[in-house]
Amino acid sequence: MSPTSTSVSTYTRTQTATYLTDVVMGAIADILADLKIDVTVLYRDWKQDEAAIAAWIEEESLQQVVLECHQPNGTVAPIIEFPVAYTTTGKGDATFTADRAALARYRAKLERVPSGTTYGLICTFRKTRTPQPGWGPATRASTDGLKSLKFGTLGSAPHAAVSMRYLH
Amino acid sequence: MQRHRQVAAAPQRRASETWEAIGQLISATLDRSPHILASDVDQAMEHASTVGRALVAAGHLDKHAVVVVADPIYLSITTVSGMAATTLDEDLGPVPGGATATDWTIYLPAPEPVTESVRAAVSGASHLSAEEPPGESTSKSAASDHENVLNLDALAQRAQERR
Repeated sequence: MSPTSTSVSTYTRTQTATYLTDVVMGAIADILADLKIDVTVLYRDWKQDEAAIAAWIEEESLQQVVLECHQPNGTVAPIIEFPVAYTTTGKGDATFTADRAALARYRAKLERVPSGTTYGLICTFRKTRTPQPGWGPATRASTDGLKSLKFGTLGSAPHAAVSMRYLH
Repeated sequence: MQRHRQVAAAPQRRASETWEAIGQLISATLDRSPHILASDVDQAMEHASTVGRALVAAGHLDKHAVVVVADPIYLSITTVSGMAATTLDEDLGPVPGGATATDWTIYLPAPEPVTESVRAAVSGASHLSAEEPPGESTSKSAASDHENVLNLDALAQRAQERR
């Protein structure tokens, strides 16, 4: 009988949260840049938003991050949702993957928005969340009448995965 | 002196932490020079951090390097994200050669779709650029070309003298 050995890598929820936060924040930055929406506030508040989203993914309270585009005529479109799905236990064979190439191709298909369009970031929750600086109560814009397109999985990690849905 | 360094990004570091690690590497390298203040480098990196964090998070720095040109140093820095970041053997120590550097420029990559954002971020910052960095080998060949031009001029002068 020959000797055998196994190597087990253990990844933490912090790593999952760090990774998926980068995937979401990076996608939002690229989408806003692609739509030519002013990203000054996104860049300014980056550390605060990054910390909040990472904390909420780590504690598994975050349901989804929602990017709302507010057009000058009052229309709120497109709306892009980033739902997070959690696994009950860290998957042993899970890896950290992001489909950024597919996102780049998908971005090219996004409808353009008029000059002066601004954006808002809203988070929804599946359970009680820990309060984070800079974040307060908000109301989502209606999605009535918007068509929905699923992008699929944007990024995955051992304890969770994030996908993307485009409403326009 | 061409050097390339890789910095572990997510899941090892958040985008903002990765940008800080890149800044510390550049600052420590240039701080070896008596002509360069680390505080000036830190200020430049802080100025660029607005777009720098987004470049990291979106994975742009995995493919496109931040390049520091401070003769004789030519340092390109990329990030490593995903599974590879978890096993990366990092070297974040100062790159040798900084002691004789005088002038310095940090070139940020400006890929689509953040090209305009990068250009706006470096605008007005004297040590930041969104242009293509000069290739080290290009600089050498340019010098050689220049010598060739001088030689041709000398030959032409000799030819005239012979007449």
